[in-house]
Amino acid sequence: MKFGIFFEISVPRPWEAETEYKVYQNCLEQVRVADELGFDQVWAVEHHFLEEYSHCSAPEIFLTAAAMQTKNIRIGHGIVVCVPEINNPIKIAERTATMDLISGGRLEVGTGRSATWTELGGFGVDPDQTKKTWDEFVRILPKMWTQERFGYEGQAFSMPKRAILPKPLQKPHPPMWVAVTSPGTEIDAADRGLGSLGLTFGGFKEQETKVAEYRRRIKYCNPVGDFVNEQVNTVNFLFCHPDNETGVKTGLRLAGTFNYLAEQLLAARQAYPTRSYPNLGLLPALRREASAPGTDGGAPEGTCIGDPERIVSVLKNWESVGVDRVNFLLNAVETVPQEEVLDSLRLFASEVMPKFASGPARVAAGAGAI
Amino acid sequence: MPLVGTLDVSSQAASAPLVLEPNTEPWELPGAGHLQLMFEIDDAHMVDLLPPALHPTIPPTLLINVLRVPESSVGPFTLAEARIGCRSGGRPRAFLAQAHCDSEAACAELRSRWGYPVTQAEVVLDQQHYQVVARVTYAGKLLLECSLEGPEAINGADIQYLPNMNLARMMRDGAEVVRLIQVDADYAISKADRGRPTAKVFEPSGWAVADALPQWPVSASFATGTVTLPRVRYLANPSLSPLKAVEAL
Repeated sequence: MKFGIFFEISVPRPWEAETEYKVYQNCLEQVRVADELGFDQVWAVEHHFLEEYSHCSAPEIFLTAAAMQTKNIRIGHGIVVCVPEINNPIKIAERTATMDLISGGRLEVGTGRSATWTELGGFGVDPDQTKKTWDEFVRILPKMWTQERFGYEGQAFSMPKRAILPKPLQKPHPPMWVAVTSPGTEIDAADRGLGSLGLTFGGFKEQETKVAEYRRRIKYCNPVGDFVNEQVNTVNFLFCHPDNETGVKTGLRLAGTFNYLAEQLLAARQAYPTRSYPNLGLLPALRREASAPGTDGGAPEGTCIGDPERIVSVLKNWESVGVDRVNFLLNAVETVPQEEVLDSLRLFASEVMPKFASGPARVAAGAGAI
Repeated sequence: MPLVGTLDVSSQAASAPLVLEPNTEPWELPGAGHLQLMFEIDDAHMVDLLPPALHPTIPPTLLINVLRVPESSVGPFTLAEARIGCRSGGRPRAFLAQAHCDSEAACAELRSRWGYPVTQAEVVLDQQHYQVVARVTYAGKLLLECSLEGPEAINGADIQYLPNMNLARMMRDGAEVVRLIQVDADYAISKADRGRPTAKVFEPSGWAVADALPQWPVSASFATGTVTLPRVRYLANPSLSPLKAVEAL
């Protein structure tokens, strides 16, 4: 099992002159510390207009800075919003290849389509089209990365033949993922041979079923890339403290704050009736589970908060469910002081990480080679 | 912490409906037609149209709902509402700014049982094959002319209706208090369309929304089916913060 960190870059009001600067610097410091401690990956989302919840609208720049300040940690660009009004696929291919070169072949590319009216409406996106455009994008990106010249006539996007440059350092191309939030998206991931970038805020049972279905279907996939990236990557909260009660209390505050902000978002489905967003996905329920008291009145069963012993136990359960990687959300609107966040990372690295062997990922031969 | 409303409800409270008994029975309204339009409004009104118990949505939204009821215990009626999209804590809701209804008897039911701030007016909902049009006229003045244009069939389950938060006076523990009544109506939809929303006429003064105008069209839907106004389960103290405001009945 591998561990990473995950950024929404949430910024608390009031927004004073240096509030965003401070939050960004804190996040970069967390990346540097995580790299030194042996964390495997750092992910940053792409969101637009989501006040307080996420000020991470240019993750490629944040992640480039992160790559420049670290040596080993892999750089997770995701999810990249795969709708043409927000990101031209040529630009995605170009900037991700550049990031891969600059980071020395450390890039991972997550894909998705956005789920809020705030974002889709802001860019004038037709919500009916996003699943279709995502599906086109994930098929053409690997070709843009690998073909000397690329031309395409599609529905969301067309272009005459051009050399899309530069090419990624990793050969044949960086690993690809898709965000799995709505029910059934794990099937989309499996059928395309993409890694599942899911959210394990909830309990173990429902995730076990999803992971099993993903593993079953991916055996028969038509990979969109040049290799199958069979991996289940998840997101969780982390607050690790020597005293379990303190860890749980602070962790619940972190999870509760994040979830409260998330519930303020204007979901696409709430604004626009469309089959493309048939429901709110598992996210709201899972988020509520993650911040609700567990059955014993303490931490929710699947959430990585508490002392090292409890977190090891939680992660062993996730490992048994079939999860390959866990990425941790460390803070929300700076509700946890920076020193406590860093202490939590250090304690996790010294007491929890050694309990998990970092075995070979389930990626087909040749993937991610340099 | 997300933004919260700043509307001082004390001036509205005096004229707010009086609900003596919140433990009302559900009211089933079969065969209803329901037009729902959503628009974005100017962010200048992001917080001043909502009481402190509610968070605004980002972007701020105006919902226009027009419900035509062909039969009910008080006869047929048509109800038009202007609502502001919001959150009660983390839950999606809509604050009812003002309603108009063409039936005096229905107005009385809606006011006394669910705290609708409703006045009697001429309300028309006209379903055509190429559009659904609603008009509201009060004292000879056109307050609303809006429509769904170019209807196309959709699954009714794809439409989301937000529960109302209606400002009302209530008796609690022997004293009169002001509360937001949560009205989470149930919708059993048999047929639904969506289309493009328009608002040719929207007179803000007739809807208690300051000068907020429907600025940016978002969506329109029209559904037919049974609407059931529910037993009231939750109230909110409009003056408290969202995290402290909600009380269960």
